[in-house]
Amino acid sequence: MGRLFAVEIVYRGIFQKTLAKHISRAIVLAAHREGKPGISFGRYGDSPERNGIPAKAFAIVATDDITLEEGMAKYEPKEVDITINLDDTMCKGVESWAWYGLQPINRLLKANGTLIVTSREEPEKLIAMCHRKEAPYKLAIVKGIPSFSGLWVFKDDHTDVRVLGAVARVLPELFSIESLKQMILDDGENPLKATSAQRSYERLTTVTVKPNQGNPEKPYEFELLKWTEMRDGITIPAITPGHAMKDPVTGQTGGFQPERNATFKKFSTRTMRPVVNFDTCIKCTLCWLQCPDSCFDVTPEGLYDANMVSCCGCGVCEAVCPVPNCVTMVNEIGFSDNAGQWEMWRKDKEGYGTWLKDKIESHPVRSHGFRYRGQYEEQVPEALAAAEGD
Amino acid sequence: MATIDYPLPKLEPFKGQKKIPLEEFFTSGHRTCQGCESALVMKMMAKAAGPRTIVLGSTGCMYVANTTYYSTSWVIPWMHTQLGSSGSAALGTAAGLKALMRKGKMKKEPINVIAFCGDGGGADMGLSAISATLTHPDYNLLILMYDNESYANTDIQLSGSTPYGANTTFSPPGKVKRILHHRWKKNMAGMLAAGHPECKYIATVDMSYGLQAMNCVRKALSIGGPTFIHSLDPCPKGWDYDPMISHDLGELAVTTGVWPLYEIENGLLKLYGKTKEIAEGRYKRLPVRDYLLRQGRFAHFKDEDFDYFQSKIDQMWEKWLYPGIIPFRAELDKE
Repeated sequence: MGRLFAVEIVYRGIFQKTLAKHISRAIVLAAHREGKPGISFGRYGDSPERNGIPAKAFAIVATDDITLEEGMAKYEPKEVDITINLDDTMCKGVESWAWYGLQPINRLLKANGTLIVTSREEPEKLIAMCHRKEAPYKLAIVKGIPSFSGLWVFKDDHTDVRVLGAVARVLPELFSIESLKQMILDDGENPLKATSAQRSYERLTTVTVKPNQGNPEKPYEFELLKWTEMRDGITIPAITPGHAMKDPVTGQTGGFQPERNATFKKFSTRTMRPVVNFDTCIKCTLCWLQCPDSCFDVTPEGLYDANMVSCCGCGVCEAVCPVPNCVTMVNEIGFSDNAGQWEMWRKDKEGYGTWLKDKIESHPVRSHGFRYRGQYEEQVPEALAAAEGD
Repeated sequence: MATIDYPLPKLEPFKGQKKIPLEEFFTSGHRTCQGCESALVMKMMAKAAGPRTIVLGSTGCMYVANTTYYSTSWVIPWMHTQLGSSGSAALGTAAGLKALMRKGKMKKEPINVIAFCGDGGGADMGLSAISATLTHPDYNLLILMYDNESYANTDIQLSGSTPYGANTTFSPPGKVKRILHHRWKKNMAGMLAAGHPECKYIATVDMSYGLQAMNCVRKALSIGGPTFIHSLDPCPKGWDYDPMISHDLGELAVTTGVWPLYEIENGLLKLYGKTKEIAEGRYKRLPVRDYLLRQGRFAHFKDEDFDYFQSKIDQMWEKWLYPGIIPFRAELDKE
């Protein structure tokens, strides 16, 4: 038998759909130049995609047809040589459409396989976010701003070719950098993209992650009702009504906290999260009312506390808030937990103020998608500069 | 004569933003997109209707994303119905409740019946069933159409509600032909109002104006008889924009005059909100460019396309018998 290569591309639904498709297609085409057959496909269970919800695409390549057929006789690969993670915040794990519970980002990686991440962060930061694995693996960072666009307008900031250059570097048996560059040129792309692929190939640094490194937590799982446990007519219980909240300091009760779907959390859908300055809040109700995910708990004193179990990071709360800097969307990379902010503020207002300032200032601002025409053209030079490490 | 022989709910309008009840009847944990305005419609609709409500949902985003794989975000009872059958499901459920109450198998009490559908399920496939339902005066129910202007669930195919020129899976702009979709959007609420003279309440809403929208739902549920509400929902996936500007786009749809807000209550037409201010000359419509330029689905538009879109909106405001509602002129008004 020949050799089978499997690459998975983990991406943000819709925002990076086109980008992921470019990459998986190019992997197969570049390998094909070296006589290796392959197939690129999106994971069926992730469709229909939703903005932000993690999704996957795969590229399967083999040294001969029979090996490829054998490799494709599975619903999806059970293990991969390379995992490409197109948005660093997904290092915390992914909860996709077709999966209940959290999957570690490195779950499918073979021993000594490589996790390629597009990120501006240092390796230590990303290693701490990824769940521990029994076997060692490698982490390679493609420096740059995670590339986000939408379904119709693509932001061509060279992320696709830079990731492909990294693949050529970590797994030259799959395709060489020369084959990749030739494929890019034959595809009618801007020749600068071949240069970007070469630059990324040359500059890539890789570190080995040992089994004792990373997030020691066990990823959460959910048990769903089996069909024998459902009620007549295949019905399932509704969510129960909510309850009042309790002040952690005074014990006063009031406000409202809704019950929530227990089997789907939004942790891994977020690239940003709102942080709230409770001292300047005027209790206008808008963030609470306009949140499509009902993520705000109403506290006994009538403040609004964004509950991180249900926040998907859309940013509507910041957009509707009439008070400057009261609700601020902050890069999700800066958080290692989902702790409640109001409770923190009630217990230590001064400490909370310091925490808030630090969270807002210490991490790069993110944006996620099309706001006006010409925006991507403005952003591409910045993205290319970040890729050069400036 | 119409006979509704069971009690109707008494749903007074919410008096202000701060008087809106805290309880949620459609809650968190659904798998909709970031910034999904249709999920907001579900939340506001359920909040306005209250706990004694049955919701029926035809296939679409608000079915697939909210009740995926035996999980749910609904606090009130919810049942799935087929794509084109929101009208029949609402009618059947209301008739069933009525029969059970008449036979003494259930306490006679007001129970709201709401069926929702998307623009594909409502304005395209379900039109005949909705129309038939609106002619039945004997049952109290509401059909709410959440219109995100495409078959968004299955990745943005063109629907009868997709606006002129928009990029969809079925209408990608090309080098030879820039505009592949040159049909004008269906005037659903106006069509139903004109075609169903006995229907007591039809309204258009926009969740960026949440309080007014919820009060429309409350009126629709308590007026007695079948009613219809059409909501325009910005869709970050299909319209291609940063989810953070969902709310702004909802406002722009109204302030540019693209989406007129009105209610028709027992035959009486009332414009409300910014639409009323525009009609009375107190607010100047913004150019439609402001709305279209912020959406990736119109990124291929050139000046002539913006001009055409603007001319159609101007025509709606200046030439229609009733701006935004009845798309013809009376002979007497001939210039």
